[in-house]
Amino acid sequence: MSLGFIVRRLLGAIPLLFGISLILFTIVHLAPGGPLDVYADNPSVSPEALEQIAARYGLDQPVPMQYVLWLKAMVTGDWGFSIRSGKPVLGEILVRLGPTLELGGLALIISLLIAIPLGIVSASRRGSKLDTTLTLISFAGISTPVFWLALLLQLLFSVELGWLPSAGYQSIGNGSFGDRLAHLVMPAAVLSLATVASWSRFVRAGMMDVLNQDYIRTAYAKGRSESGVVFLHALRNALIPAVTVIAVDFASVISGAVITETVFAWPGIGRLFMESMNGRDYPMLMGLMMMGSLGIVIANIVADLAYAALDPRIRYG
Amino acid sequence: MTMKMTRRTAIQAMLASTAAATVMHAIPAWAQQKGGTLTVGLTYEIDTMNVYSTGFLGDAQAAVVEGLLAPDKDAKYVPVLATEVPTIANGGIVVAADGKTMKVSYKLRPGVTWHDGKPFTSADVKYTWEAVKDEKFIAESKDGSSEVESIDTPDDLTVVVNYNTILPTFASTLFTFGIFPKHALEGTDLNTSSYNQTPIGTGPFKVKEFVTGQYVALERFDGYWKKGANGDALPYLDGIVFKMIPDTNTLVTQLKSGEVDLVVQTPYNQAQQLTGVDRIELITGPLLSWQHLDFNFKNPTLADLAVRKAIAQAIDRNVLSKAQGGYPKPIKSPVVPVFEFYDDSTPVLDFDVAAANKTLDDAGYAMGSDGIRAKDGNKLSYKFMVQAGRADDELVQQVIITELKAIGIEAVANNQSGVAYREARYKGGYDLIYGRWITSADPVYSVFWGTGGANNGQSYSNPDLDAALKGFENTLDPAARKTAATEFQKIIATDLPTIPLTTNVALIAKLKTLKNFVPNPTNMTNFVDTAAWYIES
Repeated sequence: MSLGFIVRRLLGAIPLLFGISLILFTIVHLAPGGPLDVYADNPSVSPEALEQIAARYGLDQPVPMQYVLWLKAMVTGDWGFSIRSGKPVLGEILVRLGPTLELGGLALIISLLIAIPLGIVSASRRGSKLDTTLTLISFAGISTPVFWLALLLQLLFSVELGWLPSAGYQSIGNGSFGDRLAHLVMPAAVLSLATVASWSRFVRAGMMDVLNQDYIRTAYAKGRSESGVVFLHALRNALIPAVTVIAVDFASVISGAVITETVFAWPGIGRLFMESMNGRDYPMLMGLMMMGSLGIVIANIVADLAYAALDPRIRYG
Repeated sequence: MTMKMTRRTAIQAMLASTAAATVMHAIPAWAQQKGGTLTVGLTYEIDTMNVYSTGFLGDAQAAVVEGLLAPDKDAKYVPVLATEVPTIANGGIVVAADGKTMKVSYKLRPGVTWHDGKPFTSADVKYTWEAVKDEKFIAESKDGSSEVESIDTPDDLTVVVNYNTILPTFASTLFTFGIFPKHALEGTDLNTSSYNQTPIGTGPFKVKEFVTGQYVALERFDGYWKKGANGDALPYLDGIVFKMIPDTNTLVTQLKSGEVDLVVQTPYNQAQQLTGVDRIELITGPLLSWQHLDFNFKNPTLADLAVRKAIAQAIDRNVLSKAQGGYPKPIKSPVVPVFEFYDDSTPVLDFDVAAANKTLDDAGYAMGSDGIRAKDGNKLSYKFMVQAGRADDELVQQVIITELKAIGIEAVANNQSGVAYREARYKGGYDLIYGRWITSADPVYSVFWGTGGANNGQSYSNPDLDAALKGFENTLDPAARKTAATEFQKIIATDLPTIPLTTNVALIAKLKTLKNFVPNPTNMTNFVDTAAWYIES
């Protein structure tokens, strides 16, 4: 893989991001409502006052003009100001990024540590009771709504047992590591469940595909132990399809987990997105979504590079 | 028998009083107790602690920053940093000889200090006006600042506000929201000041920590000016923590697990989950908002009183209440019952389908073959708007549509949101509209139904009502205002520009042992009187 490849991919991402921004801007403005809806029931905010507020945020301009203004500023690195808080969009996002990375990062590590072994075991014991059970659990995991699982965990561990705080990032005035870890356990567990379930399926599928190949039979024939075959010969090739999925999921860590963060009152990007959506905070929404898009574009490039690292036959020129 | 105090009897007396004191300590329920931290759950995120720029009601802010006056539990103004509410009777309000302007004088409370120990004076009051009025300051509300011509501060404890008009609602504006500390803010940029996170106030609590997106922790201000009725230093609580929890299921879970002690806006549909929880009790408090059905008078059939009357008779308010979980209460006047100006003798048309049909028959609206009445080719078929996406409103709309169908009136849902809704609401882009208004403790009603009122999208105009509203809003004499209020409520109830339907209640989930908590119906929030709250152990 060459540096040239990376540069070309990055340059190619620019028109892509431009197109994404246009589509996102259109979708956001197609959704009914607007940032001024909060004033609807308040008779002391007169129509004139509403017009003034609209003018202050440029909401009185036609939508295409608003896009041009937004894009012009964005190109110069100006992410604009949040309508809800009046603060710079980028600053607000950076404040939320830390908690989101902590939660998403931990969930990813848990997912990797559980999903890959599960997938391997399932594939190499294909059709066994163990495989059937794991498959069943996976599908249950994929199908369980996050908010419902979160609620059950909260009721069990916070209300009934009183072991863990039900929500929040830290106790008031206590930012110690142990305290934050206690707050992190349940959201990270909830967030991992669905990824563990889906990743283990991909690893299992990839593994089964590889285990039927001729070279695996050859490895067995030359007297390799089963674990030797699985880990030395099969695993690297089996992971290639899974890498694509895992890379995109990695990218989505940056955009935050909207439902999990909201249910657990986690002060991250996902919750900021939810609140900005409810308040139709256009500049904030665009900032958040552009950052998420950038993450996915980069993750795809990384996935391509990872293919080459895993499979020497794949070369980018 | 004379009693001679010897050393022995003196010691006995001392012992006896010690014992009595011990006994009293053993029964603490008698006295208010100091200490404890109350944790409040909010579903919204506190954006700023500045009362003039927050987009929400100032819950946390009200415990930190005080104004000259504040509305109490009955939505009546009581003095806070002022020593009395200015009125004409006590000489606090003086109307100019030409009747066009007024002066409002406040005597300030002596001995009040800011959280940093500096004294609170009339200069702070004057500065508050100057700072809010400043064009560079981006405020959510500048209400009442443009009506002030100038402010005189003859001494440290006297403020004379010279208004350029008669503003009977002066108490629900500027100085009631809060007073800025001049010494800390003068010369700074209020838009970016640290005041927005850790304001210096005069209130019973000061901000200890402001953590964006997580919580705001308040701690007791030991130098608070107010004393309890029994001479106790206030506040009783050591602190109040406002936790931001966006998900209402989680909020309820935290009430159950003991992580949250007070939620002032419990969603109606979560109430049932809290009924069996030992530590929590549910109480209701009135709110100054009401739901109403309005008519567009540009529509010729709706301009006919008979049609409006029939519609009023066809709607069963109890059904509307039940459709919303039974919490909103039926009303008959847009002046909600918590106000002193509410007149209980306001007439109301009872729910009576037969009477409604008769009203329309008598007025000549004949039933068509399609089940819709018509007269002179005008069908009683209307565009009916609510704000799209509001589940409760859309539900009520369906109920009303069904009820109107029973008397041969067709209403077709035509819901809008965002700019389209606003435009339609203010410019009359509907035949029927259902919605709600929320007012301050001192509402102005001419904006809704006065000729040319800012919120009068209905094109309604009635000189009698204009006169009654003028009498109510341009007078400072309480007796005259009461008479005018009775008059305009009666006119609205008989001429029916609007049908007031239901008023809301706040469902408050609180710790059973939290005492002295009194629900406040106004936009000044329940946290306006936190000093007296205490937790019984």
